Amino acid sequence: MNILLIILLVSFPPEDKIKINNVWMRTSSQNMATALYFTIENTSEKADTLFRVDSDIAGKVEIHETYSQGDMMGMQKVDFLAIKSKKILELKPGSYHVMLMKLKEDVNDGDKENFVLHFKQAGEINVTATAKKSN
Amino acid sequence: MNKIFTILISIILLLSISCKEKLPLDKDLTKKNYNLINQEGEDVVFPEIIKGHIIVMGFIYTHCPDICPMTTHNMYLTQKKLKEDGIDDVKFVALSFDPDRDLPEVLRKFAEIRELDFKSWTLLTGDRTTVNELMKRFDVRAIKTDENLDEDGILEYSMMHTDRISLIDENGRLRKNYKGSTLNIEEIVNDIKTLMD
Repeated sequence: MNILLIILLVSFPPEDKIKINNVWMRTSSQNMATALYFTIENTSEKADTLFRVDSDIAGKVEIHETYSQGDMMGMQKVDFLAIKSKKILELKPGSYHVMLMKLKEDVNDGDKENFVLHFKQAGEINVTATAKKSN
Repeated sequence: MNKIFTILISIILLLSISCKEKLPLDKDLTKKNYNLINQEGEDVVFPEIIKGHIIVMGFIYTHCPDICPMTTHNMYLTQKKLKEDGIDDVKFVALSFDPDRDLPEVLRKFAEIRELDFKSWTLLTGDRTTVNELMKRFDVRAIKTDENLDEDGILEYSMMHTDRISLIDENGRLRKNYKGSTLNIEEIVNDIKTLMD
């Protein structure tokens, strides 16, 4: 029975309920801050929440949103991001982003860095971001 | 001879009116000098350092992860487009409104990692009072938010600030303001060409 289950799982692996795409971060220098961006697609029947991001290259990591007030722009920490069932949430410049503070090293154009995204339902998802100068 | 002279004067006047219509803002920035420091730690006087050049000026702080890098990158893209069009004498200035943290070496590193060339770019900081006075001249505001002490007792904060890139003409006059993070590159390049006509 166990062997049959293994064969089935190998032949038909469960589909990822959360898909992460377009992972990138902006170049920055040691001790400074930068932002990590990606798209979250929730293909499951349930809503999910991103509540933490881990990184080896940052001393502190927070989920943030950029907001505008008249001609002024600011940003604030958010505790989590909710992604409704069958919906896509985009973390992008001028909007939601993961703020990486106190960088332990320079992040140069083309560098690749690993992150762990923590979701309430989907659990841990490992991603790799490529650093870019672009907007 | 008189007829040719009249025609020439009329053409000059028409061109001047056309430029004025396209860039109606005209604020003289040369009435007061501001003593600042550049990314090399050298004393510089604003607007003395910009006179004689068209200037694209951005307002930033280097701890900003999102908006200010977008503003800086838009200035970089403006320079790139101008170069493609054969224009390489426009200068780029970024003034930090966070002088407590943005020391010259921090500004230099911020520029180097973004491969900004110091032949065309100047990054400015200075004492808090002078920086505030200059920002006021541009109607740019910046307020510290989310202030707290980290585990080492160092003050951390974000800043809410005006999202701004400004265009200054060769005579040190402010001619147009743009939203820095979402700058339309085509628009500012066309405005620069209008100033050059």
